[in-house]
Amino acid sequence: MDPTVVSLPLPTLPEGWAAEKDFKPVGKITKDGTSQRTIEPVGPHFLAHARRARHKRTFSEDDR
Amino acid sequence: MADNGPKTGPAPGDRTVIGITFGNSNSSIAYTVDDKAEVIANEDGDRQIPTILSYVDGEEYYGQQAKAFLVRNPSNTVAYFRDFLGKEFKSIDPTHNHASAHPQESGETVAFTVKDKEGEEETPSTLSVSEVSARYLRRLVGSASDYLGKKVTSAVVTVPTNFNDKQKAALTAAAAAADLEILQFISEPVAAVLAYDARPEAQIADKIVVVAELGGTRSDVAVVASRGGLYTVLATVHDYEYAGVALDKVLMDHFAKEFLKKNSGAADPRENARSLAKLRFESEATKKALSLGTNASFSVESLSAGIDFASTINRLRYETIARSVFEGFNRLVESAVKKAGLDVLDVDEVILSGGTSHTPRIAANVSHIFPQTTRILSPSTETTAINPSELQARGAALQASLIQEYDAEDINQSTHAAVTTVPHITNAIGVISLSESGEEVFVPIVPPETAVPARRTVLVAAPKDGGDVLVKIVEGNTHIKVTKPEPKTKENGSKAAKVEDAGDSDDDSDFSDDDDDDEEKREKVWKIGATLAEAALRGVKKGGKVEVTINVNADRSVMVTTREVGGKGGVRGTVSA
Ligand SMILES: Nc1ncnc2c1ncn2[C@@H]1O[C@H](COP(=O)(O)OP(=O)(O)OP(=O)(O)O)[C@@H](O)[C@H]1O
Ligand SMILES: [Mg+2]
Repeated sequence: MDPTVVSLPLPTLPEGWAAEKDFKPVGKITKDGTSQRTIEPVGPHFLAHARRARHKRTFSEDDR
Repeated sequence: MADNGPKTGPAPGDRTVIGITFGNSNSSIAYTVDDKAEVIANEDGDRQIPTILSYVDGEEYYGQQAKAFLVRNPSNTVAYFRDFLGKEFKSIDPTHNHASAHPQESGETVAFTVKDKEGEEETPSTLSVSEVSARYLRRLVGSASDYLGKKVTSAVVTVPTNFNDKQKAALTAAAAAADLEILQFISEPVAAVLAYDARPEAQIADKIVVVAELGGTRSDVAVVASRGGLYTVLATVHDYEYAGVALDKVLMDHFAKEFLKKNSGAADPRENARSLAKLRFESEATKKALSLGTNASFSVESLSAGIDFASTINRLRYETIARSVFEGFNRLVESAVKKAGLDVLDVDEVILSGGTSHTPRIAANVSHIFPQTTRILSPSTETTAINPSELQARGAALQASLIQEYDAEDINQSTHAAVTTVPHITNAIGVISLSESGEEVFVPIVPPETAVPARRTVLVAAPKDGGDVLVKIVEGNTHIKVTKPEPKTKENGSKAAKVEDAGDSDDDSDFSDDDDDDEEKREKVWKIGATLAEAALRGVKKGGKVEVTINVNADRSVMVTTREVGGKGGVRGTVSA
């Protein structure tokens, strides 16, 4: 999928913002934030998904 | 090797595969050439092949030829049987079999008794629905084999989303009896989405698609979340009242009444089986003609009591008398969207599939439910739409070509719940940008109802002058913002009228333009939810762009990667589950 291009700009970093390696985890996806559903075993992208799932590979391993 | 089944199919290398759609009314066969799906015309030149078998003097006819025998040889003609597979007699609906061989109870299943052998002395045969299906599929596959010049061994077959395991098992057995390996069943709406997504010009995007599958004896609507080429069915509705035959019925009644008006004293053609069959056959042809032209003729020799009858009807008249059926289709579509917990504003595309979807008024009515930005894919609303009668077979053929190299065991494993049932995020995940007025706005990166693991990337503008940039990753949600129109001073009863509008604003599509100014404005807006992470990207160039990639892992942890486009380094971090 081609990345979407967004023209509205990101905000400027607030004065005094600091974090280790410039990354600060804040919250997490809550358990309620996901539900189990069934994806249809159809199409080329599903085949790629099944391949990753069965070989326990990530997207980037799959890219290589 | 897969040696655990009762019978092993051909080795992957020896397969010739096609896609099949096997409907109650019609079936189609398709194959792919150079990754492009093509629907095959049978020896009669038909691409929509009536799902009918007929026996005359021991000779078997199928498709359009068998359909023609519904007039002269109805009791030896078997029609509308697909939905009986895997069902007990007491749970079937025989409504559509009144004018052909009648279904009967036969042990655990349903059967038809027809005279399928030559000679007066031969006794009729009782054929189970499984046997009828096998015979029909053999003819279908035979046509495909003739066309391709080699024996078709295997197929992907489309089925409605509510086809259960027992029905699938019965269909698999019927296919096996016809020497056909079923590689996989795929659901009808997903086949239609795949047919569109496989077009070379198609861009894989995240979108909500409503597929309305409008056939002859049933209508099935599905709401599908299409996410990076993965499809999740969010809701389905099924209906057996609003479908193609209901439209035939409208025309049958119309022409029967016309006939009686012109021939006072003549017998009602609806009261004689043969006259009724002729009336039905010609009404369906007239209905199809009305999808293309604004006028259509109707003409039957010896319609009733030896009297010929010819008439014409224009599309407007047809649309008026069929209005209540058309409204039924709209209600089905609306109820599916509602069942999915979505709003019409969430729907990006509507795919109209199935023979009845050729009807321009149905497409127009459906389009009135949705905002203008929703694409309605049907012949009358989009010039590049794929023929709705071909979508399923094409989708099936594409899937067949994708999996033909896999052995049966591999296909089984990949379609197993362990692989297909996965967490889906319910909120969107995105980044905060600033609107023109400097307010924080949510920019979705991974939309709701996306199966995880998932990865998405966006490119976002940096602040005008560049510098140090905040990449704030948050959850987001949509809600529908309703803006009431400015209260008008002239009418005082207008408030009460407003409340009603919300409920039936689509009903009077013909009049809706009049009160456009009064209508409340509904828009979908994003609401910013909980913050997941913040990252800083330092020293971004003036006018630069920032790439933000989000990886949501299967365990619900989120990996964020961001860097300046064209820049070095970048920041990466993980939000634990
Ligand atoms: N051009 C057309 N305009 C209007 N209706 C059409 C057109 N072509 C076919 N139909 C109608 O479509 C219906 C058949 O739909 P389809 O070919 O999708 O069958 P199906 O899926 O086997 O149906 P089902 O299983 O619901 O009985 C019939 O009622 C037929 O009259
Ligand atoms: Mg159908």
